[in-house]
Order: sequence, then C-alpha cells, then structure tokens
Amino acid sequence: MSSIVAFFFDVLAYSSIFVLVVLGLGVIASMMGIFNFAHGEFVLLGAYTVYAFEKLGLPAWTGMAAAPFIVALVGLVLERVAIRRFYATPVIAMLGTYAIGMALREAVRAMLGGQFYSVTAPLVGSFAFGEISISKWRTAVIIITALVMVGCWYLLARTRFGLRVRASLENPALARASGISTSRVYAATFAFGSALAGLAGGLMVPIYSVNADMGVPFLIKSFLAVMLGGMGSFEGAIAGAALVGGGSAALPWAIKPVVADVLVFIIAIAIVKVRPGGLLSSWGKRQ
Amino acid sequence: MTQDKRNLESEQRRLFLQRASVLSGMIALGGGSYLLNPKGAWAADPIKVGIATDLTGPIGYAGIPNSNVAKMVIEEINAAGGLLGRPLQMILEDTASNEALAVTKVRKLVQKDKVDVVLGGITSSMRNAIKDTIVNRGKTLYIYPQLYEGKECTPYLYCTGPTPAQQCDTFIPWLIKNGGKKFYLPSADYVWPHVLNEYARKTIVKNGGEVVGEEYFPVDHNEYSATVNKIMSSGVNVVFNTTIPPGVAAFFKQLYEAGFQKKGGRLACVYYDENALNITPANEIEGLATCLDYFKALNDPFGNKLQAEYTKQFGTKNPFTAGSASTGMYRGLKLWETAVKEAKSVKREDVAKAMDHAKVADGPGGAFEIVPGSLHTKMNMYIAVAKSGKYEIVEKSNGPVMPAECG
Repeated sequence: MSSIVAFFFDVLAYSSIFVLVVLGLGVIASMMGIFNFAHGEFVLLGAYTVYAFEKLGLPAWTGMAAAPFIVALVGLVLERVAIRRFYATPVIAMLGTYAIGMALREAVRAMLGGQFYSVTAPLVGSFAFGEISISKWRTAVIIITALVMVGCWYLLARTRFGLRVRASLENPALARASGISTSRVYAATFAFGSALAGLAGGLMVPIYSVNADMGVPFLIKSFLAVMLGGMGSFEGAIAGAALVGGGSAALPWAIKPVVADVLVFIIAIAIVKVRPGGLLSSWGKRQ
Repeated sequence: MTQDKRNLESEQRRLFLQRASVLSGMIALGGGSYLLNPKGAWAADPIKVGIATDLTGPIGYAGIPNSNVAKMVIEEINAAGGLLGRPLQMILEDTASNEALAVTKVRKLVQKDKVDVVLGGITSSMRNAIKDTIVNRGKTLYIYPQLYEGKECTPYLYCTGPTPAQQCDTFIPWLIKNGGKKFYLPSADYVWPHVLNEYARKTIVKNGGEVVGEEYFPVDHNEYSATVNKIMSSGVNVVFNTTIPPGVAAFFKQLYEAGFQKKGGRLACVYYDENALNITPANEIEGLATCLDYFKALNDPFGNKLQAEYTKQFGTKNPFTAGSASTGMYRGLKLWETAVKEAKSVKREDVAKAMDHAKVADGPGGAFEIVPGSLHTKMNMYIAVAKSGKYEIVEKSNGPVMPAECG
C-alpha cells in the first residue's frame, strides 16, 4: 500500500517538474514555431537567481518570486537583440539559441566557479502518514504547476493578449493588416516563455542544487515532449510533458533505469510515427 | 562605381583584413593555453612541466583547484632554488572536459613545447584518451592525480590518487560495524562505479555483509523514487553511493525525505570531500560517511600550512580537497621532484627508475610513496562522517594503505 502511494506521488511530482520546464518551451515552440535551445539555460538562470537572493540573505521564496521577472527581462533583451532575426529560419534559430545557451551556461559556471550549491526549500521535510512520507516541497511544486498550467491556458485561450498571439501565429500578414504589431507580440511571447523557464528553475533548485549543467538533462527530453504533443498546440505540449516525465519516473519501478531511459525515447518516437501531428492532433489543435 | 562607394568598400576590406588577422592569431595560439614563467633571473634553461586539466566544462570544479595546486607547488620549488639548478616552467592547457580537444592539447605539450613531464586528467575517460599521446607516442612521463577505479598499468604512467582497495579496505569493515550488513549500491553507469563496485562487493562479502541491490543509472539521471522505495522496503543498512552530481543531490534529498537516516540507515559515498558538502543542505546528509586520503578536519600542522598558503593565493571558492584530485596533484609533483633530484636528470628512463621507489615524508594526510613495480602510491586513508555540514574524522587507517594494483 505504502509503495503504491509513493509510486503515484513520485510519478506525479516528477511529471509536474517536467511540465513546468516544458511549458515555457512549449509556449515558444507552439506560438512562434522555433525551438529555443537556450531553454535549459533560462531554467538555470531562474535557479541562479534564487541562489543569488539566498546569498544576499533574502529568503528563498523571494528569489523564486523574482526569478520569472528577471529571466523574462533577459529573454526580452535576447529576443530584441538576436532571436527575432531567426524567426524566418527555424534551423538557424536552433543553432543560434544553442550558442546563446552555451554562453549563458559558461557565464554561470564562471560565476559559480564550476561548483554545486544547495538552496534550502521554503518548506523543509515531509508529511508523514504512518509508513508513507510525502515531501512537502514536491507537494508545493505539484500545486504551483497546476495553477500555472491553468493560468497559461487562460492567458492564451481567453484573453485579448492570447487572441493576438494566436492571430500572429495563424496568419502574421493578416494580423499585421489588422493592426497587431506582430513584432511586439513575438517579443512578449518570448519573454513569457522565458518567465516560465525562470519559474521552473526557481522552483526546482531546492530539489537539484544549483550548478551550471542543471538545465542540460531536461533539454532533450523537453524537445521530445513538445514533438510528442505536436508543434502548434499548447495543450499538446503539456500532454507530451506529462507522458515523458511520467514515463521517466514510472518505468524504473519495473525495469532497469538505463533501459527505461532509452525506452522512453523509443515509445515517444513510436507515437510520433503513428501520430505525426502530435498526441492531441485530432481534437486539440485549433483550426 | 562612385568614389564614395569605392572608399567605403576599401574601408570594409581593411576592417575585414584586420578582423581576420586577429582571428587567425587567436586560432594559432589556441584558446585556454597559459604559460607560467619562473620568477626572477635564471641562468639555466627551464624544466618544462605540462599540466593538462579541465579548467572549463562540467569537470571544472576539480580542474581549477588542480591547476592552482600545481602552480603553488611549482612556485614553491622555484623559490627553493629550482631543480638541478634549473627553474620550473609550467605550461597549462585547458582540456575543457572534452577528450577530443584534450588529445590535441597534450600533443602540443609533448611535440611543440617538448615538456619533461605531463600531469593531469581528472576522469578515467580523459586519462584513457590522452595517455597514448603522452606515454607511447610522446615518450613522456605521465602522472594521473585522481582517485579512480584502478587497473591502469601502462609503463611510465604513475597514479597518485586512491584506488578501490585504498578506499574500501578500511572503510567497508567500518561501515558494517557502524551501519549494518545489508548494502545497496546505487551507481552512475560509467566505468568508475562498475569497477569500484566489483571490488566493494568482494570486500562486503568477505567481511560478512551482503549486497541487496546494485543498480546503474544514466549519468544525468535525476529521479530516484523507484530506487529509494526499493531501499526503504528491503531493510537496507548501508547505501554505498556512486551516483554523481548533479543527480546525486536529488537522490540524497529523496532518500532523506523518505526517512532513511531517521530509521538508522547509513549513507556512504567515497568521492564526497569537503567541497561536495555544498551539494545538498547539511541536514540531508547528516551522518554520511566517506573515506579519503585527506581532510581539512585532520587539522594537522602540515595540512594547515598548505591550506593557509592555498587560501592566501586562490581564495576559498575552489578549495584544496581530496576529491578534486588536488591532493593527488600535490603528491604527483612532489614524487616527481624527488625522483628528478635522485636521478640528476629529467630524461624519462632515469626519472622512471628513481620514481619507482620515490618517497616523500610530508604531505596532505601524511607520508606517501610509490610502491615499487606498481606505478601506484601508498598513502594514509581516513574515514570521516558529516556532522552539521562539517566532517569529523572517526578513524584512521593503520599506517599507509597498499594500492593493490599492477601485480
């Protein structure tokens, strides 16, 4: 019994962290059609913000609250300076953002001296129910992820800003003709995606400790999640993330972790083959 | 074409040529090459010491203190009059945690700079990538400073870090006594954990313990709930961990949150030095035990003197610890110095002959020496336990421990 509860909680917790990371990537990929290879480093910047705040003697939660805004600002500047030049050529965009990511990673490495530093979570320890112990901070991450997911959906599907974003995605020429500044919408969307990455980094730093390479393991699996969900569908990205994250956490319970890692990719590729438009392509994509 | 346009074009061409020349200059020099010339005026030509280590990339945390220690020891030797009346010149190459790049870097050291000895490499994959270029094709002496899985018996290649025997022989009986008999070995899936576990398992069984589980994870794995559950439900006493950063932080946290230590479990990790204590909050690794060749907590006069000098020169950001190959680098340079003095030559054959029985009386952690014919170093080992974010020494090996490698 206790293992079953632990199993579901752990799979849910890891999927939540994963969804949080993929959200920002998914927003940018689905709304603007480019893959941001610097996404892992935006996550890292969010984590670094929390570490820097803690070093200044401020509580960790203030850093977590500030991380999305600081990373959004970095994202905005990068979009205006470099990334907006890549929109027409998605392949160049991958290479360009990869280079930006590497520069950010090495800059943080220099600031940290290549070291690893822990950050204490705002909620320490675990709830104990008899034999079962549930990590408090992971519980908080699950709840925050759920709220952020709903918030994102509302923003993109129900607000004027969301409408402009979707209009710019569907038909940029018509959007411009209707008086929407697509350039500004793209900048705002990119900043928003960056903010989500910053938040993800801030929330996961107590679990993983800050270090220059913390974004790297998430990157490739995040792409897999977006591919799985289908480009151009925000809900799809979340479904893809839940599947990849959940699979990564659940499979090692049954089989060797090294095999599980490969199996997640094989399953995902098989699904992409069967449904090239993405998991939710039949009903999720707005026409 | 108007005059204006032509002027503009020639200006652009000039600018292009300028930039191209700067760029080609940078390429010719290569990035990450540093030359440390001896201070003062010397009549004799310098002896060249090549240091190839990872100043950047994921292994930078170890490479930085490594190069610092090398610089400190080389300057100390120069200040004391050099070697054979000649000063030491240090040529430092950043191998950037990249084996392919490292091969070209060490080729430069042995072919272009013609160094007399090469020290460096942190990971086993790095050592395997560069050793042939240095030892076989380069005909140069090579000293490898990091704790590792053993089995490296290439002639002219000396290992100055602890081997599995040195890390397990004292440690595992202690763990059985101060933890229990049931071991679990969660590990990263690369050569060091595989070979170390093989030795650890043998030692565990020999001492009356049992291995309940041995599990390998991809090196960048960061979700360990399945393993934590297996550990908690099978009554494991000792978790002998060889998973690596960054994932290890998540693993230790999950283990702590599941209450492993609270239920009397003992966490053990043989690469965990003072620097690694930063990876997780102190309360999550309370009671973690490790076995290494040196700790600041030893508080010995010689070690303290080294620490004071190191901190004065390089600060506290990248400390001098055992897990980052810093102590191995110190031993390597000192053993080589002793051998050169005895051989009165820097020729490889002569130095190797003297190196085979080189002994140094003082070092971090005490005296150390090469075991003749083994290419490995005999040294003291210490067991330490983490208490409130600091190590306390709980046991010392009974004299220097044999490396048990190469015959």
